[in-house]
Amino acid sequence: MLPDDVRFHKEHTWLRVAGKKGTIGITDYAQDALGDIVYIDLPEIDVSVEANSEISEIESTKATSSVIAPVTGRIIEVNEDLSESPEIINEDPYGKGWIAIIELDNPSEVDDLMDASEYEKYIDEESK
Amino acid sequence: MRVSVLGAGPGGYVAALTSARSGAQVTVIHDEEVGGTCLNRGCIPTKTFVASAELLARTRKLGAFGLELNGSIAPNLSKIVDRKNTVIKTQAKGIRGLLKSWGVALKSGRGVLISPTEIEITAPDGSRETIASDNIIIATGSKPSEIPALPFDGKNIISSTEALDLREIPGRILIVGAGVIGCEFAFIYRELGSEVTIVEMLPRAVPHEDHEISEILERELKKKKIKLLTNAGVSKTVPHDGGIRVLLSDGKELDADKVLVAVGRSFNSDNIGLENIGVKKGSRGEIIVNSRMQTSVPGVYAVGDVTGGILLAHVASAEGIVAAKNITGNTSEMNYLAVPSAIFTSPEIGSVGMREQEARDKDISFRIGRFPFRALGKAHAMDEISGMIKIISDEPSGRILGAHIIGPHASDLIHEAAVAIRAGLTVKDISGTIHAHPTLAEGIREAAEDVFGEAVHVGKKTDE
Repeated sequence: MLPDDVRFHKEHTWLRVAGKKGTIGITDYAQDALGDIVYIDLPEIDVSVEANSEISEIESTKATSSVIAPVTGRIIEVNEDLSESPEIINEDPYGKGWIAIIELDNPSEVDDLMDASEYEKYIDEESK
Repeated sequence: MRVSVLGAGPGGYVAALTSARSGAQVTVIHDEEVGGTCLNRGCIPTKTFVASAELLARTRKLGAFGLELNGSIAPNLSKIVDRKNTVIKTQAKGIRGLLKSWGVALKSGRGVLISPTEIEITAPDGSRETIASDNIIIATGSKPSEIPALPFDGKNIISSTEALDLREIPGRILIVGAGVIGCEFAFIYRELGSEVTIVEMLPRAVPHEDHEISEILERELKKKKIKLLTNAGVSKTVPHDGGIRVLLSDGKELDADKVLVAVGRSFNSDNIGLENIGVKKGSRGEIIVNSRMQTSVPGVYAVGDVTGGILLAHVASAEGIVAAKNITGNTSEMNYLAVPSAIFTSPEIGSVGMREQEARDKDISFRIGRFPFRALGKAHAMDEISGMIKIISDEPSGRILGAHIIGPHASDLIHEAAVAIRAGLTVKDISGTIHAHPTLAEGIREAAEDVFGEAVHVGKKTDE
């Protein structure tokens, strides 16, 4: 079951909005496709990022893959626990495996993201 | 035929051996232990450090390999230095033995050319002697370059030479220059426990490598928590709190216990009598030679770093062989088409031939094949999955123009591509050659197949 308190980006990141801030992570579908994650290049704090741009790179035993910002804003916090234990992303992608917190420039961008049922359909299509 | 060789590094001693094997009567004049920079304070000593650092890194992962360590493991730099000195001694003995077996006379002292056929030697005890010969080969090498903002003091501001003789692991080491030497020492000292920062003037680490190799290496630096500051220069240093405070060109300040300057090398072409006989030098002080390694003075040859070409031990040796052959009556010319190079970072880098940017700059039409080590079973078994192989080939001939590898054993793997480039082989020649399984070399075959999108172990592409 997909969590219903987050919104989804087509590049398989999620955003959990609280006021002007949003927490970013990768979806369970993404972590499963990547396999065992061995390293994450965490974004830098205070850096401004554009929606749909790369904020981080994840290395798994299978591939190296970009983490795409779901919205535009400024990175205000990163999950330092991941630098020592990136496998947390595999274990709890929607919880302890969060990657960064962003301060949203334009909260209306959230409306462009998918909700749980839309994302479910989207990944069904993609995995066909 | 009498030949005198000035310098006993990989250029000089190989030139001496080659000349002697062709029947020449050879004298080598050297003012330090045989083996030159390579053996005494370069290639070999750094590799003994790398060996200790690698073993330490692997020992730290014992658990992942299903092994248990009852006790702890810690580096002892003093013993690492002792081991390095033992290895140097053994190798030097080997070179001396080889020279002796071919009847090469070794003269210890400082040699100065006093005519195109004579070298005056000042021995360590001050006594002088003049050696006459028909031909002279200059192989005096190079030394670390100094920059005005960072004058070497041998204690806190050091070169690679002193970095190989530290008896205690520095708490914080600042490395100026993210080239081959700077990056190798960064990984070594980081593994031993130092906090490492690298400052580089250019926009990327290992700036002379293919840009994709730099990108991957930069990620590996990050993984090891080695800080890399690019587009940054050093403007000033001041002693501070027992260490050094370094002021960067952008105004930033950094404190370190040791500053290792690795910004390039300058040529040992002074005080060896070149002006006495009119040997022409270039603007950087390098001796100018032609493809037969002849200087502007007939009968006088120069090889290796002092000629300012590619500053690599194996290139010096190749040039030494060419000079010796020409002297002993077999016309020979240097060919720099396929010169492999190796960087012993973690993981290693091996490259040969053209970089992608070079191919673009020369307007060559080319295709690229890539293959990641993480797609190889052998890499997983070894737990060394970072890195990739990149092959650049001419379009449409398929001839291999360049290969760039970052990953486990890259320094060994690169030679398959070196042979291919030298022989003018194509990617089909490599992909059509059965490669043993399970090996890292399979990755080269897959990268060659990928040039035409035919790598077997790459998933079907759904988009692009």
